[in-house]
Amino acid sequence: MRVEIADLEVVRAGRTVLALERLVIGSGRVTVVLGPNGAGKTTLLRAVAGLERCRGSVTFDGRPVRPRLAVAFQRPVFLRGTVRANLALALELAGISPADREARIAEAAGVLGITALLERPASRLSAGEAQRANLARALALRAPVTLLDEPLAGIDGPARRELLGALPAAFRAGGGTVIAVTHDPAEAALLADDLVVLLDGRVHAAGPAAEILSAPPDAETASFLGWDTIPGEGGVWAIAPGALRVGRGEVAFSLAVERATVVGGSPVVLGRIAGVPCLARLGEAPPPAPGETVSVSAPRSAVRWFPGSR
Amino acid sequence: MTLWDGVVDAFRLLGRGDPYLLDVVRRTVLVSGAATVLALVGGVPLGYLLARTRWPGRALILAAVHTGMGLPPVIVGLVFYLLLARSGPLGRLELLYTPQAMVAAQVAIAAPLVVSFAAAAFQSLPDELGDLLHVLGAGRMRRLWLLAREARLGLLAAVMAGFGAIVSEVGAALTVGGNLDGSTRVLTTAIVLEASRGEYARAIAFGTVLLLLVLGTNLILTAAQQRGR
Repeated sequence: MRVEIADLEVVRAGRTVLALERLVIGSGRVTVVLGPNGAGKTTLLRAVAGLERCRGSVTFDGRPVRPRLAVAFQRPVFLRGTVRANLALALELAGISPADREARIAEAAGVLGITALLERPASRLSAGEAQRANLARALALRAPVTLLDEPLAGIDGPARRELLGALPAAFRAGGGTVIAVTHDPAEAALLADDLVVLLDGRVHAAGPAAEILSAPPDAETASFLGWDTIPGEGGVWAIAPGALRVGRGEVAFSLAVERATVVGGSPVVLGRIAGVPCLARLGEAPPPAPGETVSVSAPRSAVRWFPGSR
Repeated sequence: MTLWDGVVDAFRLLGRGDPYLLDVVRRTVLVSGAATVLALVGGVPLGYLLARTRWPGRALILAAVHTGMGLPPVIVGLVFYLLLARSGPLGRLELLYTPQAMVAAQVAIAAPLVVSFAAAAFQSLPDELGDLLHVLGAGRMRRLWLLAREARLGLLAAVMAGFGAIVSEVGAALTVGGNLDGSTRVLTTAIVLEASRGEYARAIAFGTVLLLLVLGTNLILTAAQQRGR
């Protein structure tokens, strides 16, 4: 189901927390809304869910009628009773027949790895378990539109990697439109078909995730995505994360070396380019001494120039 | 000693099933029980609305409700007396000095307590819970019912506060009920009567029974409240 947002404005205590001219969420796609804390991501999700007082319109396949939605809030909430009872209630409210409920619960619990927790009272789950049960409840519904607020909040370590692997398949199996919110660019990169970058209540970028991640449309987006942004003459250079290396290349900068260390198994040099802290891979070169200035470079495809930005 | 004699007398009367006492106790439970139920039927949904929604005038109503918690029963009784008296606006209903009139006045006394406790109980639930049920498609009544189950600790406190306040009040019961033997006499008004006659031991006996009644009710409600904790 295609979700279309037009002229959406949410004002809270006299401050505009969200202002979207037009945003289209593609049918059957996983759209990740990415932005830092306080950017208005949760507000956007709540506006789509109809929980937020706002101006503007949200339409579903062109109609202003909200379809059945599935939602997982950032804070997992449950009613009394077991995890199974909580999932069953959600399915019952969605009009799923009792016979189908069991199968849906079993499947969602399998994907989220909570099969062993189904008979446990929901009030006795750890934070990570509760978050997984929260997601299982949303996925089991297979709603035309599923809204997930920070789906991996509170889940870390191996469970997180496992879920990042399992969720895209689960989304596709559900077949509906998924809108997920996160502050983590790495998580967004792994989950998203499409990306919406929300900064300070405004959309800075929207489109296929691969395009935005490889070519952010403005300096703020680039900076948020982890690109090094370096002020230049009349604009800003943005260098893709991990693209800088010591030595000559297509686009060169000079790096004032602060120290050498190892990141992710490779030797790197930490220092500053035009006063901005940066990191360059060292490769085979001998480590420069602190205080030295070395030439670093990046391939042209990994560097963007934003004129007029500061 | 009068006090001790009264307490012993209470158990003696209860033990032999004194018809007068049992009649008064039965009426006390019926009148205050009915008033509590009515106050809950109106007060719990209103408490829910006050807790879950924001609208102009909400703060005013909350303040009014909180003020109502401290309303002297005798004032409430007086207002109902003036409304129900033969020359009053509702005089044609001929309800003055009936149990129904007592119920009405006691509803007015219990309602602010019930609304206030219920609002606090619902407000203590995470907002996301109501939002979730809303998004999942639960209707208004289903949502109220499911959230009431979650808030049962606070809601049973509302029942205890409401029932406790009206079963032990005398001002309204006396003013609109008139303390008529066999029709509007309840434990509190019976106590007033015995005390005015100088029958202090009997007054204490009735007082003891009232205390036992409230204790028993609260024991049952507390057991329900703490079940499954």
